[in-house]
Amino acid sequence: MIKKRWGLALVTAVVASLALSGCSPSTPESGGPVTLNYWDFLDPSQANPRSKALKENIANFEAANPDIKINLSVVSLGDMLNRLPQSAAAGQAPDVFKMFTPLVPQMAGAGVYSPLPDAASKVTDWLRPTDTLAGPDGKQVAVPYEYRTCALYYNQKILSQIGAATPTTYEEVVDVARKAAAAGFTGFGTGFSDTDNSAIISTFFNCFMTQVDQEIWTGDGQADFATKKGEEFGNFLSALRGAKALGSNVVSDTYGTVADGMASGTVAMAVLGTERAVSFASQNPDLKWTSLPKASTGDTTGTTIGWTLGIGSGSKHTEAAWKFIEYMTGPEAGAKMATGGEVPTRAATYKQPFFSTPEAKTVNDIAAYVKSNSKPRTYSNNWTSLATGLSQAGQKLTLNGTSGSEFIRSAQDAANKK
Amino acid sequence: MSTNSRTRTSSQTATPPTGIQASRRARKDRMVWLYVVPVTAVFLFVFVGPLIYTAWTALHETSYYQIGKFSGLNSFTKLFSDSDLPARIWTTLVFSLGALVIALPAGLLSALVLNNLHRFKRSVRSLFLLPWLMSQATAGTIWLWFLNPNYGPASAITKSLGFGPTDVFSSPNSALVAVTLMTAWWSYPQAMLLFLGALQTIPGELYESLKVDGGGIRHAFVNITLPHLRNTIVSVVVVLLMLYVQMVTIILVTTRGGPIGSTETLSMRVYNQMFDKFDLSGASATAILLFAVNIVLTLVAIRFRRKESL
Repeated sequence: MIKKRWGLALVTAVVASLALSGCSPSTPESGGPVTLNYWDFLDPSQANPRSKALKENIANFEAANPDIKINLSVVSLGDMLNRLPQSAAAGQAPDVFKMFTPLVPQMAGAGVYSPLPDAASKVTDWLRPTDTLAGPDGKQVAVPYEYRTCALYYNQKILSQIGAATPTTYEEVVDVARKAAAAGFTGFGTGFSDTDNSAIISTFFNCFMTQVDQEIWTGDGQADFATKKGEEFGNFLSALRGAKALGSNVVSDTYGTVADGMASGTVAMAVLGTERAVSFASQNPDLKWTSLPKASTGDTTGTTIGWTLGIGSGSKHTEAAWKFIEYMTGPEAGAKMATGGEVPTRAATYKQPFFSTPEAKTVNDIAAYVKSNSKPRTYSNNWTSLATGLSQAGQKLTLNGTSGSEFIRSAQDAANKK
Repeated sequence: MSTNSRTRTSSQTATPPTGIQASRRARKDRMVWLYVVPVTAVFLFVFVGPLIYTAWTALHETSYYQIGKFSGLNSFTKLFSDSDLPARIWTTLVFSLGALVIALPAGLLSALVLNNLHRFKRSVRSLFLLPWLMSQATAGTIWLWFLNPNYGPASAITKSLGFGPTDVFSSPNSALVAVTLMTAWWSYPQAMLLFLGALQTIPGELYESLKVDGGGIRHAFVNITLPHLRNTIVSVVVVLLMLYVQMVTIILVTTRGGPIGSTETLSMRVYNQMFDKFDLSGASATAILLFAVNIVLTLVAIRFRRKESL
């Protein structure tokens, strides 16, 4: 009986050790087949054009590189922010992953990235400078995969109904929003919910700070934007509140709910990313987009943002990973992703035949707009704290009636709170 | 029982064990370790180890998931000097006790209904269990959709009745009430199952005797059901309170602790410190505080149970 039990214990130990060895990281790359673990927020099984383009690009890459297989995991941005630092600390980071531009330095600070290989420096035709996609040591860790910036979206039908012209300054936006609100619409769509990483308010803030030429951080990474220029953003939100032009659910609204409101025709105006232009065009023909309204500086230039691709810390397949990144950001894949409405990042891509077709007009327009109306920003490693701080400051502005300057001070304090 | 032990003791005293018997007993005693060692190892690995590691982390500076130099009680000093902490503890108590006050009677009532049901018992039981069968994330998402002020069915109903849209997540008080109700809805089947098990152990003869004596339903509930359920009620209170104090997912999915921190319980604060601010040390200090709250609750419950057994 005892012998039997010891035998059982031995078998258990052997099984456990085999299971544990199965969990260990993959072996370094040799000449044989390689499987790359790739994290993306897009689900290729979905029927939308972006997902379809991603699926086709991966399939085409695998066909062109039979020794490299792509193991795609669909991970939302929120989950990525949690899981990437953990997986990197455990030596289990994906070989390649997508990341939102403002979060690249934060993830680099968390040790999530491997440095880009030397081959990366040979690609030089990025439409916008890439030196801001760097880690704490200043070395570039990611390359742009897709570009976007902010634009003013408006519902032409609502504006015509209230007899308003397209606003060109933020003061005019408040006036038009007031009239639209009086007519029963949400005058200006934004949201202070932090359930989606405060996407809408942080994106708008990011672009607005570029418009008023306000740096967000000092050289040592301290948030420092509660200035006269920074206050202009808070004052704009405060003026919208005074005009009763913000949505009744602004505290709990997200990027998604505002976009849904635009598409369904209940929101008159909103500042959103240019990536929405293609989907809005198909969802509601009354929706138009134009450049950002002028700030006090008279500037309409927002911030270049978008998605990037980088190599995970500790990847054993950096060469194959770069090959994949190079393909995904290259002309062939770029043309495919443009059919899904995304704006490719390399000049060479725009020489593909697709960009001469009428279907490419919107993407070409957005690409030209991004090039002329946005510039990249250098970020610090606390974007998530800043974004949450902006949401909470917005909630206080709505629920506690705080002023524009209190809004900006509160967001700055939240970003600096250790 | 006492006679048998005495007999055994006297026989053992009378005949001292032989060498073979002694070696058998020693072998038997050694075999106990076969059972004790794996359990102890698992306990150390899944409970004591992480607890020590959490305390260790709280005593060090951290950068993301890297542990830096020893910082003493800095994290705890920061935690207890945070002006938001009393509000977070208050939110935790309101949320936990609020959900308990709803889930406990709801669980008991559903258990009573199920216990007295003679037809469609399985179907009704499945129906009552439905919320608990969902993951917390699914439950939160469903409620988020249901209460959405723009397209949620709740809004459609309130609008058709002439009220405005359901805008529960936009105000601090209504958001806290909403997450509390959702949590109670999701968790009451757990109480129901425990109560149902206890109800089925009450002898039917007691109810019959009371009926013969002219007692009604109220008398049966107060004089038979409740006394028999007293221990179970204490257990349910402990189980549910621990669940609520540690609850994260439903709050995360619906409000993430907002608006203005009104739904940020201590557990939610741990999550936000960890995954929003990447403050591992601060999150560990809050987690230790949370652990202390749980210990207090458990000790209170043990005290109740002891009183019961006296």
